[in-house]
Amino acid sequence: MAQDTGGAKDAGPWIDPLKYLEAKPDLPKDTVETAKKIGPLTYTVLIDEKHLVSKLYNMVNVPTGVWINEKGRIVRPNEVAFVDDRFKNFTAMDSAPYLNALKDWVEHGDKSAYVMSEDHLREKLTANDPNIAQAAAEFGLGEQLYKSGHPAEAIPHFKEAQRLNPKSWNYKRQAYALSSEKDYGTTFRDEVIKSGGSKVYYPPPELPQAEKKP
Amino acid sequence: MKANVCSGLFLLFLLTALPATAKELHATIVYDDAATGVNAAREESDQLWITTADLKRATRFEVKPQGVCRDELCFPLPKSRQQDFVHKDSGASWFNLTAFAQLVHQPVAHDPALSTWYFGLRSDQRQMLSSLQAPDFTLPDLNGKRHSLSDFHGKKILLVTWASW
Repeated sequence: MAQDTGGAKDAGPWIDPLKYLEAKPDLPKDTVETAKKIGPLTYTVLIDEKHLVSKLYNMVNVPTGVWINEKGRIVRPNEVAFVDDRFKNFTAMDSAPYLNALKDWVEHGDKSAYVMSEDHLREKLTANDPNIAQAAAEFGLGEQLYKSGHPAEAIPHFKEAQRLNPKSWNYKRQAYALSSEKDYGTTFRDEVIKSGGSKVYYPPPELPQAEKKP
Repeated sequence: MKANVCSGLFLLFLLTALPATAKELHATIVYDDAATGVNAAREESDQLWITTADLKRATRFEVKPQGVCRDELCFPLPKSRQQDFVHKDSGASWFNLTAFAQLVHQPVAHDPALSTWYFGLRSDQRQMLSSLQAPDFTLPDLNGKRHSLSDFHGKKILLVTWASW
């Protein structure tokens, strides 16, 4: 689920690198090689130009994962979801515990030790904060102005979204990517340091110790 | 002196008559993330009035005797405050979309210079998460084919967001 205001133009090369070899020659070689190796995708990849999923699920960063069971109920809420180790140098986070938890859920379903209780889920998910909702509206207005040919006029609204929901990295990084960090008087690196470093930027998933099987 | 009184009265007449028509302008309304151009919008101190015909075009909501409705969804208007939401003049029926947003706890962001209004998720849409039922959505893949979360009902879903930036 690509959270990309630029739509297929920006997200496309990462979904189907082989299709964009000419249009985007600077794609990392390992991305292209992996695409050749795995062939056509076996899962669904969607493009979310309006950051709708982030709005509906109160997400603040990428990658964020949510587990949804066969009945359409959330069983693990928003959390950092690395499925490989390509950013391990920055995150210092190993993807193996998350992947093992995921496999356990696939095998045991709602009985998995990694499925959260309803109270715990509600505590983590419910955030009906008017400032967060207003931030989403300011960000949406910024996107509309950007897409209708007013990128400079979009900036004050992107800044307002960041002020109202300072925890959202999506609002910061998407806005920087649409113009320049200079327009915001900061850099991504400085913002990560200011927030408390990569462990705050990517809080490790809350995974209970898996039960030892006899 | 008499002339001054007359011109004063005339000015007073203009001031009371003008607000209904003087600020009619083109506005862009973004509702449910879809943008609609509206040719006759009235912006009065952060309030947005549009015709009920434009209301239906921009939001799919309609004013009915039981309230402001779209499909199965209906929000009753407070009886004592009807005039805050609906009034008739210039041969049209007008609806205050910002007052309605306030009624349904919907955030509004406005760019006055570009007359663009963005209406966000209502509180009933935001509170869906506390039911723990995963909010449904429909989005396109790279080939433009649209998929809904509900298409995958009956399977386990790992929903992962990512970005190119």
